[in-house]
Amino acid sequence: MAERRVWPMIVALLALGVLLLPLSQSLFGLRLTYTVRVVALGGSLLGALSGAVGCFAVLRRESLLGDALSHAALPGVAIGFLLAGRQLGALLVGAGIASWLGLRLVAAILRTTRIKQDAALGIVLVSFFAAGIALLTYIQSLPEASQAGLDSFIFGQAAAIIESDIALLGGVGLAVTLVLALLWKEFKLITFDADFASAGGLRGGLIDALLSTLIVVTIVLGLQLAGVILMVGMLIAPAIAARQWTHSLEQMVVLAAALGAFAGGSGAVISALDSDIPTGPMIIVVAFALVALSITLAPGRGVLWRQLRQRENRRNFRSRRLEPGA
Amino acid sequence: MMGLERALIELLLHFVTHDALNAFLRSPQHTASLVGCLIAVCGALLGTFLLLRGMSLTSDAISHTVLLGIVLAFMLMTGAGLEGDTASPWLILGAAAAGVGTVVLTEALHRSGLVRQDAALGLAFPLLFAIAVILVSRFVDDVHLDDDAVLVGEIGLAWANTNSHCFANCESLRITPEHPAAQQTRQCANCRELNISPRDERAEFREVCGNCGVYTPAQAWSAGLLDEVPTLVFFPKSITVMLVLTALTVGFVAVFYKELKLTTFDAALAKSLGFRPAALTYALMILVSLVAVGAFDAVGSILVIAFFIIPPAAAYLLTDRLSGMLLLSPIIGGAGAFFGYDLARGWLFGMLPVAEGIAALNAVFGLQLREVWDSSISASVVLTMFVIFVLVWILSPRYGLVVSAVRRANSRRRFDDQVVLAHIHNHQGTPSHAIELRAATLHQHFRWTPQKMNRVLMRLRALGFVSLEAGSAILTQRGDAHVHAFRKQLLVAHNIPDIDPTQP
Repeated sequence: MAERRVWPMIVALLALGVLLLPLSQSLFGLRLTYTVRVVALGGSLLGALSGAVGCFAVLRRESLLGDALSHAALPGVAIGFLLAGRQLGALLVGAGIASWLGLRLVAAILRTTRIKQDAALGIVLVSFFAAGIALLTYIQSLPEASQAGLDSFIFGQAAAIIESDIALLGGVGLAVTLVLALLWKEFKLITFDADFASAGGLRGGLIDALLSTLIVVTIVLGLQLAGVILMVGMLIAPAIAARQWTHSLEQMVVLAAALGAFAGGSGAVISALDSDIPTGPMIIVVAFALVALSITLAPGRGVLWRQLRQRENRRNFRSRRLEPGA
Repeated sequence: MMGLERALIELLLHFVTHDALNAFLRSPQHTASLVGCLIAVCGALLGTFLLLRGMSLTSDAISHTVLLGIVLAFMLMTGAGLEGDTASPWLILGAAAAGVGTVVLTEALHRSGLVRQDAALGLAFPLLFAIAVILVSRFVDDVHLDDDAVLVGEIGLAWANTNSHCFANCESLRITPEHPAAQQTRQCANCRELNISPRDERAEFREVCGNCGVYTPAQAWSAGLLDEVPTLVFFPKSITVMLVLTALTVGFVAVFYKELKLTTFDAALAKSLGFRPAALTYALMILVSLVAVGAFDAVGSILVIAFFIIPPAAAYLLTDRLSGMLLLSPIIGGAGAFFGYDLARGWLFGMLPVAEGIAALNAVFGLQLREVWDSSISASVVLTMFVIFVLVWILSPRYGLVVSAVRRANSRRRFDDQVVLAHIHNHQGTPSHAIELRAATLHQHFRWTPQKMNRVLMRLRALGFVSLEAGSAILTQRGDAHVHAFRKQLLVAHNIPDIDPTQP
């Protein structure tokens, strides 16, 4: 029952998202400059991408992996800058490689020691981040460096989004969608029962690595907008919100993408209302509001529904209309 | 706080002169190392329990949300017209509240049954951090909360932020116009009113004292108004803060050692025995928040989690005892803090120059990087801790990679030996003897390479377990005894009665 309600909701969300720009224009008297529109579009694209990919991270109980990987990207950004100068491509490739190395290091610590996942993530997170900070201070000491803007990877700087970034986000988004569609069955299997997947002859390691790569790619793209600290919120908040409304993975991924796009777009628009409100944090706040809403209101699963059901049960119990076996 | 500082300095002055103390504290390296070591001790002690409880990343969450507490308290203080200072009780209260708030929010999300523990943590702290960032950029226009302070702290400047304490010649100096050091100048009293120059004949003059007022001993000495030097000690504030936190942490762990141990390893048992694990968890979280805010000035809000996570993790690979971890992890953290300063100045562990590493990179890859390494101290401390962790990971005598590899190779070798011995034992003296035990074809029965078979046979012959007779491998008396001993051991271990007919 709850399953069928999801599709209209997704459509409504998308419609609301599309209407948001003209609506905010007429309701709040907000002048939608070109920059605001570009940032809102970028936020929506990133939100959709990270929402869809984040579902797998959440379901695989790797919610905090995103946090570690986003911090781990920083030394890659710095090394990319040292080797190639301020070219976005080099910075992103560096970030991706560093982040991926961090992932391997977490796996190595887990495989060869008795240290548990939380501590392993923490070690990689803070060591890589410290390496990044040390390299950034080194870069700042270089006389010829035009290092302005590397800091934006730490805190995120949505206002710096330009059209080419949108094209990049859109292109990568399409590629990720394609990979998800092609390997849907494999991803689903490995997410819910990795042992069964391996037993069934699936190349578990390969699919696992591919899924992790998707997460790394998403994080790296999101760094510029949300920054290393808030990226984990972008990744998991839409997925957790979507999880409350449905029990099917297909619906969850699509809904998470829609919710993420909505949070990204509206966060960007709200932050445009006041020049002092930073975009990345605002997107996170909107995303969390969606989570809070979903946890309370989601039919069947939400807190409100559960309370109503409990009250009804109690009433039934009191009036002794308890059916046998119920 | 001041009284405590004074008592401490008085104690120290029994051993050293105030000049030596000042000289020691005025060195950035000494103060930075001392503060770093104190943070390391606090972090390592608390982090040990976090690690064993699987809550290491809670320190990550708390250190981020402490920023929200600091910002809120900061706003309250500036709203009430107070000066913002990170040692203020309001900030400390705010930080503790934020830390507890994080844990409460996470628990609430988790307890709703709709969100898993890790996801709840991952939701709660970006939210609180995002709110803090919005508040900072929207309402706080103070340089003190800028990006760098949040990220890396200013441990290198810890020596400069001091309280002064005076121990001799401490009378504050009042300069009156009659005082011999007073600087009297003549000023025109009515020039401005009448808009005339002082040369005008209508000008009236009066004596004005340029430096009159009340001077503290420190001010008086620096203004050159004293002949006798006051005995002043300048004590860095962060050392005091961290000393108090260290005392608090050590006291907490010492007093509640038994309870902490019990709740960490078996919370259910603790509860059934009448302890209150939840209360202890909250106490632990409050302390973590306090240490995070105390260390905020020195190392910022992100790098501080290294002090909570890395040293206990390294200690965890060295020992199986809680007391051992509590002893080792502060030492590891302290070593990281101590050598970290050297790394920031370009020397890894005080021995290996980083600049030569950069030069080597330049030479090998043809880069033109600047061959001077002068880097963030707190980041270097964390990197040093990480290097120590990796060394422990590789070399730990108990769980290290090297020892594990050796152990695995040994057991593989022992397994090979046992398999071959068992094979020979089973076929020796049976009709299939000649086929099964011919040395030249023995490897086929195990599907091994001839080389591997040769290695194993050589080893077994060297041990005196196996000998070759007419091209066949047979057990020696010693080998036979070995097989029987091993067999008996297995049977006993699995509680199976011995029915070997060949045994008497």
